[in-house]
Amino acid sequence: MITCSEFMAEFGNYLDNEVPTKVRQQLEDHVAQCRTCQVICDSTRKTVKIVTDSGSFDLPDAAAKPIVDRIMAKIRTEI
Amino acid sequence: MSYLQEVDLGGAFPPFASFQEHFGVVPNLFRAQSSLPRILQGEAEIIDAVLFKNWSLSRTQKEYILLAVGVAYRATYCVALHYQVLRSLGVPDHQLDQIVINHSKAAVSTPDAALLDFAIKLAMYAPWLSGDDIDALRNHGFNDESILEAILVTGLATFLCTLSTGLGPWPDFEPRACLASNDMSPPETGYVGGTGGPYLRTVERSPESFPPFAIFLERFGFIPNLFRAQTLRPDVLEAEVKLFGNVLGPKDFLSHVQKECILLVASGANLNTYCVADHCEMLRAMGVSMEESDQIVLDHHEADLSKETKALLDFVLKLAVRRSSIGNEDIANLRAHGFTEEHILETVAVTALNNFLNTLQMGLGTTPDVKPRHVYGLKDALVSLAEERPQERAQIDPDASLVARVKAGDLDAFEELVTRHSRRVHRTLVGIVGNVPEAQDAFQETFLKAFRHIGSFQGRSTFSTWLLTIASNTGLQCLRERKPLESFDDDHETEDEFHPRLVRAWANNPEQLYSEAERREIVERAVTMLPAKYRVVLVLRDIEQLSTGEAAVALNLGIPTLKSRLLRARLMLREALAPHFATSAKRMSL
Repeated sequence: MITCSEFMAEFGNYLDNEVPTKVRQQLEDHVAQCRTCQVICDSTRKTVKIVTDSGSFDLPDAAAKPIVDRIMAKIRTEI
Repeated sequence: MSYLQEVDLGGAFPPFASFQEHFGVVPNLFRAQSSLPRILQGEAEIIDAVLFKNWSLSRTQKEYILLAVGVAYRATYCVALHYQVLRSLGVPDHQLDQIVINHSKAAVSTPDAALLDFAIKLAMYAPWLSGDDIDALRNHGFNDESILEAILVTGLATFLCTLSTGLGPWPDFEPRACLASNDMSPPETGYVGGTGGPYLRTVERSPESFPPFAIFLERFGFIPNLFRAQTLRPDVLEAEVKLFGNVLGPKDFLSHVQKECILLVASGANLNTYCVADHCEMLRAMGVSMEESDQIVLDHHEADLSKETKALLDFVLKLAVRRSSIGNEDIANLRAHGFTEEHILETVAVTALNNFLNTLQMGLGTTPDVKPRHVYGLKDALVSLAEERPQERAQIDPDASLVARVKAGDLDAFEELVTRHSRRVHRTLVGIVGNVPEAQDAFQETFLKAFRHIGSFQGRSTFSTWLLTIASNTGLQCLRERKPLESFDDDHETEDEFHPRLVRAWANNPEQLYSEAERREIVERAVTMLPAKYRVVLVLRDIEQLSTGEAAVALNLGIPTLKSRLLRARLMLREALAPHFATSAKRMSL
């Protein structure tokens, strides 16, 4: 059985599905036994999903057109 | 800017001073190699001897060769550089444009046209080169000294093209489109195989009185015919010895066996019977059996090599076969196998040196020093040429046709690209710099840079990834200017391992606790509070959804560093979001 530190060392690759099957099995065995790592794993996955789906830092549609126009005006004066 | 990190060597560094004097600029190709000054010193010697010294050919004739070979190899970087040098030598643009489009129709003298035909045949179809091609030059009035010089300059051109393909420097001057090589096809008859000479006159030199030969004798146990054939130019032989010593001598990064394996595999890719035989011999002296060398050259994946060395040789094969282009992802792959900047630079330099030697050998037609176990024939050459044909990129870029229109001068097409990508670029920049006003300045700068440099975009990645790389660099520049408030470049991950503190379970569907606008505000606030070096990684990976390799390239980070920062960023963000989403959390007012 791997330790919590060993779990954390592979955790990033595990989140991104970049671990070999054998390692994955060891990580999942650990999570099944360790409540703390289970919570960290679950909440970090949820964090990534919330961030990815949040639409953060999007440019509002109304703001986009004037910015594009400004850039094109600058380029047209340059050439 | 190139694939590798640069070190400031200052303008007084002698090779740079020499390049400044003779090129009018310190080309980015050489700045990209600043992490190993010894390599630059070796290169400066050979460039000085072959290109800058006045001997038989004029500098203009030599630059014509460099330009024409650059075009044939589609080496955009080299074409831009030599085009500019020729301009500064007084050659009018229309004449240069003709060489770039089709050298055979360029308004150059008949002997110069013959010289370019010869150089391009040597660079592209060396195994077909024969004594007849040498005689054709003699008939145009070139003597053996000037033919040797033409061969050396062509070798130098392949050296520089290989370096530029492997290092990806930003062009020093406005890039020119290279279309000519599309129409070239191999000669139908006259395959020689590179050992039909020696073609040129030589001068007797002995190791007792000529130091380069003493060095060859000591290192190899014999004086290779390839060097005996260049005795008309003792100064070049001295520079070659210096270059070999500086590139191949040290073993502080790549080992001697690794370097010989690179030379062996790259010579095999160039179907060079002579060089393959010599490198098998070198490896034998290092304890690698002939059978093992045969396996390496035939298929290194089946050889008894570490997986790292196999990855290295994959890269070398791609780089040595002249029309294959290297992209950021190839460099990221080497880093992922544990290779440092210096390893990668040495690999590119050894491969470039190999192409230089392979070209010289076929141009001189020297006979093998040792009996070859492999003799490459016409069939090998035709198979290799078929594989070399530029292939359609597997990755289809939805912006490709707009990019082509922009390159042809269509501004409306660029406006369409700006509109298409404005949201992504904006998100990236606000995420990286952490506030909207600064992001908007960087936004404008990103698109202006993209417009100015679109000529150098070669489609190695999609346009969208290329643009995000520019955006990331622009955003990072803002952060660097803000130092010491926020540090991105701190590469020492010295902090203790990050230990999550909040271990209370989260709600089953945490996103349902808040409205979309509220969630967005919570996330934006939390992301903005992350330290810059973690924030930028998270923005590119989890908000922009770049792959690990793409994000590593965009941020010029090694993959292990990128991964460790990403995990840290996600864990920190998790702590910041926990008060909002953990099961015991009350719905917080914002």
